[in-house]
Amino acid sequence: MSDTEDRAIFYTGRHYFVLFLLLCLLAALIGRALYLQIVEKDFLVDQGGQRQIRTIETPAYRGTIFDRFGTPLAISTPVDSVWVNPAEILQNLPALKKVVAKLELDYRETVDLLKQKANKEFVYLKRQLEPELANRVANGVDGVYLKREYHRFYPAGEVVSHLVGFTDIDDRGQEGLELMYDGWLKAQPGKRRVIRNRRGAVVEDIAQVKRAQSGNDLTTSIDMRLQYIAYRSLARAMKYHAAKSGSAVMLDIKTGEILAMVNKPSYNPNQHKNMDPSQRRNRALTDVFEPGSAIKPFTLAAAIDRGLYSQKSQIDTSPGWLMVSGYPVKDVRNYGKLDLAGILRKSSNVGASLIARSMQKSELWQSFSDYGFGQTPGVSFPAESPGYFSHYSQWQPLDHATMGFGYGLSLSITQLARAYAVIANRGRRLDINLIKQDPGELLDNEISRHVMKASTANMVLQMMEQVVGPKGTAKQAAVAGYRIAGKTGTVKKNVDGGYQKDDYMAIFAGIAPVSNPRLVMAVVIDEPTQNGYYGGQVAAPVFQEVMSNALRILDIAPDNLPTLQARLVDQGA
Amino acid sequence: MHRIYWLALLLTMVIGSALSVIYVKHESRILFAELRNTQKLQDQEVIEWGRLQLQNSTLATHSNVESRARKTLKMRLPEEVQVVQLP
Repeated sequence: MSDTEDRAIFYTGRHYFVLFLLLCLLAALIGRALYLQIVEKDFLVDQGGQRQIRTIETPAYRGTIFDRFGTPLAISTPVDSVWVNPAEILQNLPALKKVVAKLELDYRETVDLLKQKANKEFVYLKRQLEPELANRVANGVDGVYLKREYHRFYPAGEVVSHLVGFTDIDDRGQEGLELMYDGWLKAQPGKRRVIRNRRGAVVEDIAQVKRAQSGNDLTTSIDMRLQYIAYRSLARAMKYHAAKSGSAVMLDIKTGEILAMVNKPSYNPNQHKNMDPSQRRNRALTDVFEPGSAIKPFTLAAAIDRGLYSQKSQIDTSPGWLMVSGYPVKDVRNYGKLDLAGILRKSSNVGASLIARSMQKSELWQSFSDYGFGQTPGVSFPAESPGYFSHYSQWQPLDHATMGFGYGLSLSITQLARAYAVIANRGRRLDINLIKQDPGELLDNEISRHVMKASTANMVLQMMEQVVGPKGTAKQAAVAGYRIAGKTGTVKKNVDGGYQKDDYMAIFAGIAPVSNPRLVMAVVIDEPTQNGYYGGQVAAPVFQEVMSNALRILDIAPDNLPTLQARLVDQGA
Repeated sequence: MHRIYWLALLLTMVIGSALSVIYVKHESRILFAELRNTQKLQDQEVIEWGRLQLQNSTLATHSNVESRARKTLKMRLPEEVQVVQLP
């Protein structure tokens, strides 16, 4: 026992010495740990995060634009843009050379560019490549990265380009609906914080910084079938008459929806660089002109509405001209006594002036305002024009007379179509729309404003039917099997305050079918120089072609088929 | 004695919990990788969908349909006398 006790005493000093050393080490370790944990914590967490945590963008799409049946008019497809960090890639020139070759870029130029931008961290090599190609280029090359972007395609191209417009390379709306509904269509890319491993692959999602919000889709009121036919027909007429420009608009009068809106010259929205700005205008909404004779139905309607004339009224237009404060208002020849229908059929300026002057200036102004002259069509399209229609207090006596046959005011073809829709709709004025309407929303249109008596509208409609009849100025607008009503206009162009001798605009606006109107279409062709220039020769055939197709496509029952009716009677008997 | 049992129990639970944290973390990474793959797949499908929509609209161009109807199928509009209205 004593031996062991002795030994134990003997070793006690060493024992404590070793223990002391160990404790010192432990204290050092704890001290270091405390130091790292407390004093240097922020710095270290930050550094660790910088090596592992990245904020990445989560993609979101811009909304698609459709026609009323879901045909895409503008659609975003993913593409990849290749970018580099110059400092990184310039250290690895052989790799850069390969990448540049695959992208079909010039090697020297690229290197020069990158050297210039050596202090930047982000330089695009090439934007908007097909994802497959971009992947092949960038895969496995250090310092070459991809950024997901979206390219906008316009499958319908020039046929509907004025309406849809286009976006710039950064996906911002520049024209047309793309601009008008930019906020609605726009996508908000999201942001997420993630942890990446050594190889750069994302291994963990930490937090969503911002939710990705894809854009909303937009369904327009356009019927691409009609749009295409209208475009083709307008283009053909413009070529045949060697005209400068032209527009056409078709409305569904029950809903106020614009079914077709075409303009020439047009452009391809998929390649809109180096383009003349005049090609880009949606003339149907932005360009105004004096409507000329196409306005006469409204002069008549305003007077009939006030009970000044009836169907049987006779107006003496002889001697074929009328002096108003020193200026002559002329007809083509002396038509003598005409009834109201005759004034429309012959398109008598004298008759229309007399009717206009039978009303107070204020009355005519009020009626024309009610029909929408001087007011924008209300589709909120960029640069949509309200036309020019001055207040009656500013009218000279001559203005009062010329208003009656469409000089002294100007409007866009869409405004003209909207006014014709008032007649077609038995005197009710609808809001017109470029966006497809819910059946529920149509109730608002149902209680739309009466701006003309239904009896007046009917009477004027019957008179307009004679214009398209065998004795009228627009025989070429007749559609087999249907009753059509319309009015031509052939306007001398007013350039800088003077009327041009040989520059005309040919106009036609019409309604079909007369027994139960469904469609209104207005056509204007600017400066036809060959094969005639009258509205009835130039614009009416476009109306005829488009309308006959539209009535068939929309399955609107014929209301004027004598052979058909005869056969029905036969079968009945 | 009781105290030792308690300690042993707590120790086992702590170790068990630590192991399960490791396991769950691992599991979540696997699931996350799966999610990423699915998202990539979805992305590719979206690309494909856009491509198909474009292809569809190219093939269904009205001019294309019309010329086929007229030339290949020899279709034409019926004349007025051929129209029959059903009562």
